[in-house]
Amino acid sequence: MTLSLALEARDVSQLPSRRDEDWRWTDLRGLIRELPVPSPEASADASGPFGELGEAELLVVNGRVQGDLGLLNVAEGEQRVVRLRFVSATQATSHGVKLTADLKPGARLTLLESYEGLAPDYLVDADLSFRLGAGARLERIVLAGDDAEGVSVSLASVDLAPGADFAQTVLTDGARRQRLETRVEHPGQDAKVRMDGAYLVADRRHADLTTAVTHAGADGETEQLIKGVVADQGRGVFQGRITVSPGADRTDARMGHHALLLSDRAEVNAKPELLIFADDVACAHGNTVGALNEDALFYAQQRGIPEAEARAMLTEAFIGEVIDRIVHDGAREVARAWAAERRVG
Amino acid sequence: MPAVKQTVDHVESLERYQHGFITAIDQEFAPKGLSADIVRFISAKKQEPEWMLEWRLAAYERWLAMDEPDWAKVNYPKIDYQDSYYYAAPKEKIGPMSLDEVDPEILATYAKLGIPLREQEVLAGVQGAPKYAVDAVFDSVSVVTTFKKELAAVGVIFCSFSEAVREHPELVKKYLGTVVPASDNYFACLNSAVFSDGSFVYVPPGVRCPMELSTYFRINAAESGQFERTLIIADKGAYVSYLEGCTAPMRDENQLHAAVVELVTLDDAEIKYSTVQNWYPGDPETGKGGIYNFVTKRADCRGDRSKVSWTQVETGSAITWKYPSCVLRGKDSVGEFYSIAITNGRQQADTGTKMIHLGEGTRSRIISKGISAGRSSNTYRGLVSAHPKAKGARNFTQCDSLLIGKTCAAHTVPYIEARNGQSVFEHEATTTRLSDDQLFYVMQRGLSQEEAVQLLVNGFVKDVLQELPMEFAVEAQKLVAISLEGSVG
Repeated sequence: MTLSLALEARDVSQLPSRRDEDWRWTDLRGLIRELPVPSPEASADASGPFGELGEAELLVVNGRVQGDLGLLNVAEGEQRVVRLRFVSATQATSHGVKLTADLKPGARLTLLESYEGLAPDYLVDADLSFRLGAGARLERIVLAGDDAEGVSVSLASVDLAPGADFAQTVLTDGARRQRLETRVEHPGQDAKVRMDGAYLVADRRHADLTTAVTHAGADGETEQLIKGVVADQGRGVFQGRITVSPGADRTDARMGHHALLLSDRAEVNAKPELLIFADDVACAHGNTVGALNEDALFYAQQRGIPEAEARAMLTEAFIGEVIDRIVHDGAREVARAWAAERRVG
Repeated sequence: MPAVKQTVDHVESLERYQHGFITAIDQEFAPKGLSADIVRFISAKKQEPEWMLEWRLAAYERWLAMDEPDWAKVNYPKIDYQDSYYYAAPKEKIGPMSLDEVDPEILATYAKLGIPLREQEVLAGVQGAPKYAVDAVFDSVSVVTTFKKELAAVGVIFCSFSEAVREHPELVKKYLGTVVPASDNYFACLNSAVFSDGSFVYVPPGVRCPMELSTYFRINAAESGQFERTLIIADKGAYVSYLEGCTAPMRDENQLHAAVVELVTLDDAEIKYSTVQNWYPGDPETGKGGIYNFVTKRADCRGDRSKVSWTQVETGSAITWKYPSCVLRGKDSVGEFYSIAITNGRQQADTGTKMIHLGEGTRSRIISKGISAGRSSNTYRGLVSAHPKAKGARNFTQCDSLLIGKTCAAHTVPYIEARNGQSVFEHEATTTRLSDDQLFYVMQRGLSQEEAVQLLVNGFVKDVLQELPMEFAVEAQKLVAISLEGSVG
């Protein structure tokens, strides 16, 4: 049951529902009674959140690729910074898109990925595959700026060769319903994975960050830091699963999820999972959910900072920890500004 | 303390599973299989009133329409619910008995089981030992309940469930199924239809139960299942500590144990519920036989400032499916869950807790220690939720898993649902193996490898062991060692 299957078959009964354990907090079946009509061709004029950063742009409008798909294939030893924009431009329509990126051994790609909702009520699906050769490096920075009334699902499947390095930072302010999922096949063997993210959700928006990493071989490393700030009647979801297969010894996997609830009706649901089938491992997860620290707030006010400003400072610093870990300098500053604009609470 | 010493010696003398004997006594059975007639048969055997039979039959109807759950991380062949006896009882008269009337074979069984000596003394009627009341459940019936008179003097009702239905129908009617509704889940529903016996406890307002209460469950009959039902009510300001132990014979077949435990605490009341579960785990090499332990345990902290504390040591059963939970309804009520789950051989355990924060200022604490060895699988599955009205709810959860060997598995699957801005939830989990450095250090001091492992494991589970009542703590510590025997080297 996936959105992409439902869109292909034009069949709502293929949508995932609360009965699917991995979708219990992001129900699509109960939300969508009828699939919107397929999206028409459209164009997007304005630039995306990353502006002119990087060397090239691949634009996908209403599910149609406008540009050179070859930008996502990086040859051995080559280095590239590419903007990948998914634009949904037409109200009350639906579309899906599938893309593949191939990084040959030693290749480097910084992918500046954005989701842009220009009209309300859309239903969209993006299905991305990344293949990283030995020693290849991919840094993926995602800014998900969907429309408040949009429904959007993105799934990135990442397959790593030994020694590959995959790092991502996903920032989102949610949508009517939105899920950003990443699945990583981790071969161990000195491959490295970092999967960070932050959700800033207000009004009645919903954001779901779901990740799954499977360590198949020994000597792999995964680290993850997810933070969330939820205000009003927003809802944040984090599901993280780390699987260590038999024989994947000396796996080092760490997962942290920390969320702030800024209103009485805000909601956070979390499921940090560890499934371990090997004994020589160091795996840990930590999860905290709570209000803004009253002591810190008091301290700031005592120094003459008005409450609203103090709250903003504290939440910004809280999310800042995720943004600071972005490696690409330009992207880090864009992400910081993007998050500041979407400050909640 | 000679009694404790004796317990230690006794448990030490045990090899892997020494409770696996069978008591040869005359037993009567209901015909094999499950139908509305069997439900009527059980109810008639227990001389139950009409309302109880109707409750059972309604549950049976609901059960027929339900599907067996499959979300737990356990694998087992499909259970044929028609290929089992739902009622097995020693051929004796039903109901309360004096010790003289109990079959000597059964008394010998309890002696042999090595329940702490004081319990044995109690069963044998020896006076002078510290007070420790026991309800002994043998297959489908309670054979004896001790200290009833003394407890009655302070107003505490402690008896078998069947007796409670006959003697205290108003209390049973008022509370039965209010914590775990008949149709709560597949196994609870099955239990509601065919439950046989179990314990009933009522502690009146303001009374601190003067002694530990305990129930000892024993499965003896082949091809039968045990479906006990326990209901404990602590009225306003009352306190009771309750212990539960269980064992079964070694058999090649799998036997089903589907129990329901309901706890109710009113204002300022407290229940401490401790379990040492040591059902037959099945053959460690082939995985043949063993008990399927599919249990629903839930506490309803109805009263303000009430408290329920679950402590469990799970070492037995082929498969464990068990989530003792607290519904924290009362203002400032408290729920605690301390668990040690050990799996070895081919055992599978999927266990944890649910802390459902409904009331203002409710607090909960979860400490779970899972140890997997052999080819076993051990899963912690838990839910902590705070509803919009649970302002100021707090939870702290710590789940640690220890792996011993290359072929076992340890999983942690916590669910956290926070629905208001004034709750604080903290969760930590770690998975590691026994550290070589620590093992080396301890062995260097002259301990054998097995002893070193035991020492380190006992250190790992210490936080939970200290929550157990004294009588159980010693036995549980030894049990931990026995369960892990053969897991190293």
